[in-house]
Amino acid sequence: MIKINNLSKIFRTDLIETHALRQINLQVNEGEFAALTGPSGSGKSTLLNVLGTLESFDQGDYLLDGRSVKGLSDRELSALRNEKIGFIFQGFNLIKDFSLFDNIELPLRYRGFSAAERKRRVEQALETVGLAARRDYHPSQLSGGQQQRVAIARAIAGEPRILLADEPTGNLDSLMARQVMELLEKINQQGCTILMVTHDPDQARRANRHIQIVDGQLNDATMYEPLASEPLVAGA
Amino acid sequence: MEALLHNLKLSWFSIKRAPLPYALTLLILSLGLGTFFSNATLYYWMNRDPIPQKSATLFMARINSTPGDCTDCFEPPRVMSYMDMQKMSGSGIPSAEAAMFSSDAYAKTVENQQATPSQVELRVTQRDFFKLFDVPFLHGETWPDNKARMEVVISKNTALKFFSRTDVVGQEMLIDDKLYKVIGVLDDWAMLPRLYDVNGRRSAEPAEDIYIPLETAYDLAIQSNTQNSYFDVDWDGNMATYPQMARTNFANQLQFWVQLDSPEKVQQYQQFLKNLVADEKAAGRHTRPESNKLDNILDVQKAMRATNEQLDAFALVASLFLLVCVVNASHLSLNRYMANQYEFSLRRALGASRWQLQGQILADVLFSSVLAFAAALLFAQLGLWTINSLLPSTRALAGWDWQMVAVMALFVVLISYLVTLYPALKTSFSPLNQQLKQ
Repeated sequence: MIKINNLSKIFRTDLIETHALRQINLQVNEGEFAALTGPSGSGKSTLLNVLGTLESFDQGDYLLDGRSVKGLSDRELSALRNEKIGFIFQGFNLIKDFSLFDNIELPLRYRGFSAAERKRRVEQALETVGLAARRDYHPSQLSGGQQQRVAIARAIAGEPRILLADEPTGNLDSLMARQVMELLEKINQQGCTILMVTHDPDQARRANRHIQIVDGQLNDATMYEPLASEPLVAGA
Repeated sequence: MEALLHNLKLSWFSIKRAPLPYALTLLILSLGLGTFFSNATLYYWMNRDPIPQKSATLFMARINSTPGDCTDCFEPPRVMSYMDMQKMSGSGIPSAEAAMFSSDAYAKTVENQQATPSQVELRVTQRDFFKLFDVPFLHGETWPDNKARMEVVISKNTALKFFSRTDVVGQEMLIDDKLYKVIGVLDDWAMLPRLYDVNGRRSAEPAEDIYIPLETAYDLAIQSNTQNSYFDVDWDGNMATYPQMARTNFANQLQFWVQLDSPEKVQQYQQFLKNLVADEKAAGRHTRPESNKLDNILDVQKAMRATNEQLDAFALVASLFLLVCVVNASHLSLNRYMANQYEFSLRRALGASRWQLQGQILADVLFSSVLAFAAALLFAQLGLWTINSLLPSTRALAGWDWQMVAVMALFVVLISYLVTLYPALKTSFSPLNQQLKQ
């Protein structure tokens, strides 16, 4: 699914060069739920951004579904992000003026779906995250956990092959974090590959693969057994 | 269409998020555009071809006929004498020709003799004037010849003003206490700029109210209110002798226009003037160097040094002001876009290409254009009112036709896009990850 070979990323200023990623090799297979951990500044978010094609890289190659993203045009990269990748951000990144429906619908518009198809997908995604009754609410009317579930609905509405989650529970309390994690596990069980950056060892333990990054280099030796899912708390 | 509506909705959300900065951007932009439009309106009217269907065939003729020796005087007088006009007429080469000058008088109707007379603008001219400049008649017709007669042609507005109707052929009027019969009423007509009368920089003024035969004007000592130049005239000021004096001396006040329908006719008329001057010189009359002028109607302002430098200066200042406003509006717009940049980055992350973001930006431009256009028209009207107050001679130039409005609308879209272009590029090409990481 994801294969990167000898990938390096350097941030340059006039005075300094920072090697954010050094000669990274990584393969993530279809259906995996991988947790990417590491200390602050280790390069985990940079790696996630490179994988999400939000960031370019300097050396090496990145193959998504067997196709190199190197040299792709802006339009091709945008289409790739839109069709194959779903993003979940720590800060949710919902548009506050939009209703939940409009927020989830946004990436589907860029894909050129008809209004009917968009509606079907949005309603299905809202159903999946348990917010179908609140489709006309605005983000400010929701709790943090609910907002993150809307963001997840937005990410999965286009039925992407891979979800990239950057500290998806970082802004949530433990109860809401657990609900979000359970939702991600459910999505993963339906076949969607997930790569999640997290600081939290407990969250990382819920993934079935643990990838550690330190000083821009990978240590991919640990494999966790998935934890038994805990039930959702009603009314969240 | 659905995408456009969606993008317009996004633009509206963006405005609602920061209405004051948006209003300020719009105010600055529309102020610059309004100032520019008010000056562009004057500039357009003053520099347009007022008679495109025949401007190539209309010429003002002059010869360098002024008494006295002057070997390096090559500029003919701006107005000519009755004697020279007579010599230049009747060649048979022009398809129409008319001498003319402007004057003014007080008029009233015969039926209402007790009323206070109203001031009217006169055009003293000959029968071909109306043919030369395609002046339409609503009722009646021009004079049958160029002889003196107490008959006038009046404008439609004059007919309405004095008679409260337009079909007044045969009615009588008192003009400076002399009785005239109305033989023609013109339809609505305005020639802007009024290039047949650039002398005295009056080309921006409306068309005259009343048209009087040239010979009648000479008989009644009606004189030009624009320019009279007397050369070697020995006259005691007795008005009874004016007709004779004005017809036989260098009492210059006339402009002479001809219609020459082909380049060959132009050449023939130039040759006619050349021969005329040669004959005059042979008779010992044309003492200055030969310097005949046959200026096309579109060149006549420049030839008569009657271009309005004030308008040119206003236009330059207005253009610079617009530039300053565009730069300022662009700066404010950049701030607005940067404040919303995370949203652009989010759209890019969700799969919008830069091209798709341009759709959003074009919707912003469309929104701004509509609002800026409406505000700019208001400011432009205010600007025109101010200019007309400062320069009363420009009061006829304050109108817009639909073509001008269309060009202004396109210009607003273009300027709005320019204002948005740099912020849009800056937003579209900024790194995505920094904005999304909170």
